[in-house]
Amino acid sequence: MINAVLVFNNSGQPRLTKFYTQLETSVQQRLISEIFTLVSNRPISSCNFLPLPPLLANTSKSSTPTTPHNDTPSLVTYRHYATLYFIIISTSTESPLALLDLIQVFVEALDRLFENVCELDLIFNFETLHATLGELIVGGVVVETQLEKVVDGVRTQGKVAKRPVNDGKGGLSLGGFGRGDGVWTGR
Amino acid sequence: MFEKSLYDLIRGLRNHKGNERVYIQESLKECRREIKSNDMDLKATALMKLTYLEMFGHDMSWASFNVLEVMSSPKYRHKRTAYLAAVQSFRRDTEVLMLAENQLKKDITSPTPTVISLPLMAIPHVINPSMANSVLSDLLPRLNHSHASIRKKTVVTLYRLALVFPETLRPAWPKIKERLLDEGEDPSVTAAIVNVVCELGWRRPQDFLPLAPRLFDLLVEGADNWMKIKIIKLFATLTPLEPRLIKKLLPPLTRLIKETSAMSLLYECINGIIQGGILEAVDGTAEGEEIARLCVGKLREMMEIGDANLKYVALLAFDKIVRSHPHLVSLHQDVILECIDDPDISIRMSALNLVVGMVNSDNLVAIAGRLMRQLRNAPVASSADDPANDRGHHSGFIPAADSDDSDAEESLRQRERKSNQTPPLPEDYRIKVIKRVLEMCSRDTYANISDFDWYIDILVQLVRVSPATRQTSTVEHTEISDFDSRGDVAFDIGQELQNVAVRVRSVRPEAVEAAQSLVLVDRRDQMFPASGNGGQGVLECAGWIVGEYANLLSKPDAVLTSLLHPTNSQLPSRTLAIYLQAIPKVFASISGNEQISWTPERKTIIALLLARIVHFLEPLATHPSLEVQERAVEYLELMRLAAEAASGTATENSSEDFVDPPLLLTQAIPALFTGLELNPVAPGAQRKVPLPKDLDLDTPINPNLHYLLQQADIEAISDADEDNIYQAYNERVGVPIESSITAFERLEGSKSEPSSYQNAIEEEYLDPDIIARRKAERRERYKDDPFYIDPDRDRESGVSTPLHNILKVNNGDELDIDAIPIIDLDLVNKDRGAEQRGREEVARSTAAKQRKLRRGFEIMVDETLEGPEESTASSRDGSRPDLVRSAQARGKKSLLEVDSSGLGALSLEGWGDGNSKLDIERREAEEAEMAKALKEVERLRLEMQRAAERIQAKDGPAEGTLVRRKKKRVKTVKVEGAEEAGEGPKEVEGEGEAVVKKKKKKKAKPEEQEKEEGRNEGEAEEGLVKPKKKKKRRQVVMDESVPEGN
Repeated sequence: MINAVLVFNNSGQPRLTKFYTQLETSVQQRLISEIFTLVSNRPISSCNFLPLPPLLANTSKSSTPTTPHNDTPSLVTYRHYATLYFIIISTSTESPLALLDLIQVFVEALDRLFENVCELDLIFNFETLHATLGELIVGGVVVETQLEKVVDGVRTQGKVAKRPVNDGKGGLSLGGFGRGDGVWTGR
Repeated sequence: MFEKSLYDLIRGLRNHKGNERVYIQESLKECRREIKSNDMDLKATALMKLTYLEMFGHDMSWASFNVLEVMSSPKYRHKRTAYLAAVQSFRRDTEVLMLAENQLKKDITSPTPTVISLPLMAIPHVINPSMANSVLSDLLPRLNHSHASIRKKTVVTLYRLALVFPETLRPAWPKIKERLLDEGEDPSVTAAIVNVVCELGWRRPQDFLPLAPRLFDLLVEGADNWMKIKIIKLFATLTPLEPRLIKKLLPPLTRLIKETSAMSLLYECINGIIQGGILEAVDGTAEGEEIARLCVGKLREMMEIGDANLKYVALLAFDKIVRSHPHLVSLHQDVILECIDDPDISIRMSALNLVVGMVNSDNLVAIAGRLMRQLRNAPVASSADDPANDRGHHSGFIPAADSDDSDAEESLRQRERKSNQTPPLPEDYRIKVIKRVLEMCSRDTYANISDFDWYIDILVQLVRVSPATRQTSTVEHTEISDFDSRGDVAFDIGQELQNVAVRVRSVRPEAVEAAQSLVLVDRRDQMFPASGNGGQGVLECAGWIVGEYANLLSKPDAVLTSLLHPTNSQLPSRTLAIYLQAIPKVFASISGNEQISWTPERKTIIALLLARIVHFLEPLATHPSLEVQERAVEYLELMRLAAEAASGTATENSSEDFVDPPLLLTQAIPALFTGLELNPVAPGAQRKVPLPKDLDLDTPINPNLHYLLQQADIEAISDADEDNIYQAYNERVGVPIESSITAFERLEGSKSEPSSYQNAIEEEYLDPDIIARRKAERRERYKDDPFYIDPDRDRESGVSTPLHNILKVNNGDELDIDAIPIIDLDLVNKDRGAEQRGREEVARSTAAKQRKLRRGFEIMVDETLEGPEESTASSRDGSRPDLVRSAQARGKKSLLEVDSSGLGALSLEGWGDGNSKLDIERREAEEAEMAKALKEVERLRLEMQRAAERIQAKDGPAEGTLVRRKKKRVKTVKVEGAEEAGEGPKEVEGEGEAVVKKKKKKKAKPEEQEKEEGRNEGEAEEGLVKPKKKKKRRQVVMDESVPEGN
C-alpha cells in the first residue's frame, strides 16, 4: 500500500503532504527534508527510485526474507516535473513502474483541471490538489487510475478555481520529464 | 472585511520574503482569533489557513475542536475544509476523536454523494478501534450506493477499518466479495476491490483461493493495467498454495509478456513468475525452459534499453532469480557487472546485492576488484551530502514561494551534473560494499578463493578505505569507554584477517605480516584512512594476531614498541585489553630464547624492555574498564617479577662461557602462551561439551565474598595516592596529530581513473605499496621460471648492470602497468560475445566446482564434537553467521508503517462457526429474530383481537390505540397480547417461545439444534418464565390503564 504522498519544490518547500498513517508533525517535516536531500542530490540520469531515507532505513532492516511482502515501507518513488518533485512512499505490494505511471496520471489530472498547471496553481489551490489526490488514492489504496474519472470526480466537488492573474508562468511541462517517457506507458 | 483569505496569506508570505517567520506568527495569532468567531465562513477560512501552515510544520492540534465545529456546518464547502483539516492534523492522541464519531456517522448517511465521500476519505486517517465498530454499520450499506465512486471508496475504507479492528472484516468481507464477483460492477470499483484484496492477500493467501477463477477472468479480460498488475501480484502469493494455478496462469502470462507494450505490466508478469515460484515448478520441462529464457531475455532487454528505471527494476528481478537459478543470471553477468559502476547509487546498491549471489571462484577476483576500485577512487562523501545533517532537520521549513520565477527549462538543466566526476560515495554505501566484499570472499569457508595472498592484500586495502565510525570521541576521561567496535565494519575486516591467519596455515606468515603492518604505529598514516578514525576497529584483531603468532613476526621489537606506545591508552577498552594480552606474548618471543647466552648486552635490553612494559602497564592498573584493569594488574606483577629475575641473574664474564638466561624468562612466561594451537571452533560446539559430573556450580567458592568486596571498597577509598587516580581519570595523554595525506599521494589518487570497464586491474584498487610488494613476491616466485618475462629485466636487457637493477627494485617502480600477471585468462576472452562467454562461464564454473581450491590451500574447518546436531544450519554448512548477520529480531515498527499484522490471525474461512461470531453480528441476528418474533406476536394479537371483536360488542379498544401501541416497547405489546389472549392454548405456546428465545439470546448461548427443543421447552419452561411475566404485566397493566381510563 501507499504510505505517503509528498509534493515539494526544487528548494524543498512542501506543496502537498499526505501521510496515510498518523505521524507527528515534526517527524513529518524531518522525513520531508531527508527525502528532499536525497532527491536533490541525484544526478539527472539516475533512476526514479530512492534509497530509503535514514528515518525509514533504520527500522526497515527487520524485513524477513521468508515472506514476499510486509508492512514496512520499502519503496520511495519520485518524479520531477519542472519545479516540483512528486514522491510516493510505498510498501512492496506496489509495482515500482506502475507507481511512476500513477504520478503521471496525478500530474496529468492536475494539468487538465488547471489547464497548463504550474506550481502556483497548486500553491493557491491546495484544497483542489488534495481533492485530486483523494480521487486517486484513499487511505493508501489506489482507487482510480483513469484520468477522465479522476478529473470528473474533482469537478463534481465544485468549480476549480483559476490561478490569480499575472501570477502564472510556465506550466509543469508534462513532456519535459526526460528520457524513457514514451517507452513504458503502462496505464 | 479585514480578514485574510488563504489567498491573502500566501500572497503575504510572498511579499514578506526574509521575515516570513514573523509574518507567520502574526497570521497564526489572527487565525486563533478568527477561529473563535461565530461566523462559520470566517472559521472555515481560518481553518484552511491553519491547514496550509500545518504543511510547513506549524502545529494546529489546538484547533481540533474547531475542526469539529466547522465539520458540523451544513455547507459542503465548510465540511470539505474541516475534513481536510482533520485528515492533516488529527493524531493518535487527538481527544476530540470521540466527538467526531457522530458527525462521521451522520455524513456517511448523507444523501449527497460528495458529502458521503468526505468521511469515507477521512476515516482511514482518523479511525481507532472503538470507532471502527460503530461506524461499520453505517458504512456497510454504502457498498450498495448507486454511485460507483462511493462504492469504491467504501471498499477501501472498510479495509482500513479492518486494519485497526480486524473483526470488522467478517461482516464486511461477504459484501465486498459479492461486489467483486458481480460482473456488471463498474470496472473501477472492481479495480479498487482487487487493490484491497491484493493488500489482504499476502497476509492470508489461503482465504482468497476461492476467488481465483474470478481473478483469472479479470486478468484475461480486464483492460486496466494497474488492476492486472495487482492480480498478478496476488497470484504470486497464491500459487505456492495451489500448484494447479501455475498451469492455468502460464499461457496468459506468457502472452502478456510477449504482447504487452506496457513495461510496468511486462515487468510485473516476469516478477510474478519469479515470485510465485512458477520457474521452479516448471523447471525441467520444455515449457519451463522456454518461459525462463523468455523472462531472462526480456530482463536483459530492459537492462539494455538504457533507461535507469528499467535497469533498476530488472536488477531487482534478477536478484530474485539468482537465488534459485544462478546459472541463468550468470549468463548475463556482463550487463549486471556494468551496473556496479553505475553513477546512480540506487542501481549500484541493487547490483551489489545481486553480485554477491553470482560470485564463483572464477569471477571473484574480477568482481571484488571492481568494488575495491570504486572504494579507492571515489571521494568520501562530505557531511553536507548526508541527509542526517540536513539544514531542514532542525529548523523546519519556512513557507516561501520563491520558485515561480524560475523557468522550467532552466531548473532542469541546473541540476545536471558533470558526469565525468565520480560521485562521492555515501558512508553507508561504503560500509555495504566492504561487507559485501567480505561476504563474497568468505562464503562457504573461502570456497571461492584461490589466492589467499590476494585476499590478505584486499583486506589490508579495505582498512584504508573504511569509513570513519560514528562514535568518534569515545574515550573520554572518566567515562568507561564502552565503544562497541563490533558494529564497526573495520572490526569485520579484522575478523576476516584473524580467520585467515587461524584457518589457512600456509598463509599465516603473510597474515601475520599484514597484522604487523597494521599494528605498527609509525606506519599508521599509511595503513589507515587519512582522515577520521576509520579502520581502527581492525586493531583489535590485528593485536590478537601479532600476539598469538609472535614467533612469525618479522619485526617483533618494533611491534612491541608500537604496542607500548603511549597513545594506546586512548584506544577503546576492548582493543586495549587485547593489546595487553599481546604485549607479554611478543615479549616472550623476544626474550624467551634459551639458546642465546645471557650476555650483559642482552640483560640490558631485556631490562629496558621490562621497564617500558611496566611503565606502560602501571597507569592502566586504574583503567575504568575492568577487563583492562585486571589484565594490566596481572601482567604488571608478572613483569615486575621478571624484571627482578633479570637483574638478579649474573651475566657471563667472557664471551666463551654460556650462561643460562633466567628460567622465568625462557620457561615460565613462554609456557603461559604456548602449548596447544588455537583452532576454529564451530558455533554450538561448546554446548556439546558434556557437563562434568562432579561440577558443582551452586556452592559459593567464598561465602564471605560480599564482605570482602565491602572491605576492598573501603580500602580503595582510603588509598593515599588519589592523585594518581585523578590523573588517570582526568588527564588526557597527548594524541598524535593525524598527519594528512601527502600531495603526491593525492595526485596519485586522482590520476588513476578507471580506464576499462571490462576488467579490474590490480593497480586500480590496490595501493602502490601493496602492489610493489606483490610484484616483488611474484618476481621471487618466478625467478627460476624461464617462461616468466620479468618486465624490468626485459627492459633493461641493454644495461644489465646488477647494481642498477637492485637500485631500481629498491626504488619500487610502482606504476608499471606491464606487471599485470600474464596468467590472467580473462583478458583474452573479453572480446567475445556475451552469450558465448556466459556459456563458457557456466562450463567453467562447473569445472571449477570439481577442482575446487586448485592451489591446494588447506583451510581448516570448524572443530566440533560429535553429537546430536542441535545447532542451526549455519554451523553445519560451515558458513559463518557472524558475517551474514541478519537482523532477525523484529525491531520497532517502522515510521510510516500501517500495521496489518492483526489480519494475520483473522480467518475469513471460519465464517459459519457459531462461536467465532462477533458481537455485532450476533446482535444483528438477535435483532432480526426478535423482530420476527415480534411480528408473530403482533399477528397473533391482531388475530385474537379480531376474534374478540367478533365475539364481543363494539366497545373494544379503538384502532388508534393499537397503532400507537405498536411503537411501544416489545414487552408492552407482548404482554398485552398475553393479557388479552386469555387462556387460548395456541397463543400461549407461540408467545412462550418468543420469551424463551429472548432469554437465551441474552445469555448468549444460541444453539441451532435447540430450536427444535425450544418448542417443547417453551411449554416446559413456562413456569419459570411466568414470575417475570407477572411482574411485567403489572407494569403494563398500569400502563394500559391510562389510555383505558381516558
